[in-house]
Amino acid sequence: MISVKDLHKSFGDLEVLKGIDAEVQESEVVCVIGPSGSGKSTFLRCLNLLEDITSGEVKIEQDIINDPNTDINRVRSQVGMVFQHFNLFPHMTVLENVTLGPIKVKGTDEQQANDLAMKLLEKVGLEDKAEAYPDSLSGGQKQRAAIARSLAMEPSVMLFDEPTSSLDPELVGDVLGVMKDLAKEGMTMVVVTHEMGFAREVGDRVMFMDEGVVMEEGKPQQIFENPQNPRTQEFLSKIL
Amino acid sequence: MFEALMDSAYVKSLPFLFEGLQLTLLITVIGLILGFILGAIMGLARLSKNRLTYGISTVFVEVVRGTPILAQVMFIYFGLSEDLIGVNISGLTAAIIAITINAGAYIAEIVRGAVHSIDRGQFEAGRSLGLTERQTMRYIVWPQAFKRMIPPLGNQFIISLKDTSLFSVIAVGELLYMGRQYFNATAEVFETLVMVCLIYLMITIPTSLILRRIERKLDV
Repeated sequence: MISVKDLHKSFGDLEVLKGIDAEVQESEVVCVIGPSGSGKSTFLRCLNLLEDITSGEVKIEQDIINDPNTDINRVRSQVGMVFQHFNLFPHMTVLENVTLGPIKVKGTDEQQANDLAMKLLEKVGLEDKAEAYPDSLSGGQKQRAAIARSLAMEPSVMLFDEPTSSLDPELVGDVLGVMKDLAKEGMTMVVVTHEMGFAREVGDRVMFMDEGVVMEEGKPQQIFENPQNPRTQEFLSKIL
Repeated sequence: MFEALMDSAYVKSLPFLFEGLQLTLLITVIGLILGFILGAIMGLARLSKNRLTYGISTVFVEVVRGTPILAQVMFIYFGLSEDLIGVNISGLTAAIIAITINAGAYIAEIVRGAVHSIDRGQFEAGRSLGLTERQTMRYIVWPQAFKRMIPPLGNQFIISLKDTSLFSVIAVGELLYMGRQYFNATAEVFETLVMVCLIYLMITIPTSLILRRIERKLDV
């Protein structure tokens, strides 16, 4: 589904990703963990080209996304992205946030887009907030609306960039619940997270990143209970 | 007393001055509409990664903001029309062009600032849905940025309105020019100029009051 080969990313002189290789299979949930500054968010953002790729290759299904001949808008329409700070469109209602993509990108007619949006809002528990503006929602509601917005494009893979990091602790559960449901339905997911409980319970695989490389990866149980790499051990001992 | 007032220049100049006011408003409004179009294009060009586009717009903004509007209008009216293209343009046309260019340069900075102030995450969220750059600008960034442009655009209206008084030097019959004509004929300088200023204030004060209200409502 996703195949990353020798991915390098530099910001000026600073090399943030120093050769990442990764594979994500269909319906797999991969959680990316690691200290801040390890490059895990940058890695995720390279997967839909929100960051230019310095060298290497990222392939999503059949498309090499950093090939200049690839229609990146088409690829992005199939790759959902959920941000740490939600990035809902504040001048639109929740419903309009969710229907914008289908209407403008896919050319779905408004009625159909509304029906789909209402179904998705129900799924994330926000059917009564369709006409509300993002400013009136709590953080957890905002993030669930943002997830519905991404799902409206019916993506084949979802990327989550620290989706619960800016939420009040009591609101984290709702968002993780929605993500867990998605995983159960077989959505392919790459999740950058600090929620070790989620990574352990829902992740099929965990990647530990540090200093721009993947230090260790494996089944959650293996990473959390029997980490091999000293950096992984050190990181986990600090946070668990 | 009442008759003396009615007979004084304060009142008698009014029909004359209102005629000038019409032209003042015409120049300001048309100039600002065209200036907004020019400013939007130049402002977005200032945010472009394309060096040529960025370069042209930057030179435009710096040259126009760095020279006096009086010099600009003289340049357009005397310099450009006679020496360069050999066509005589009317004073009114020159005045509208001058406001368009001058306001355009300031509005370019207003547009640039407002668009720049929109959180980058908005742009990223649009692009990750698969919207093109243009669609993202049109549906997501611009509507939010436009809201933030309203108060500074209102200020620009006031500035441009006052700038039209400079066009009296090219004999455009706007408010100040008409005032001068009147006091030259009647020698009632003080009274006429008081009325001229009051008429400017009659437009500018309500404008800034309305602006302040909008600003509070938009909460920007």
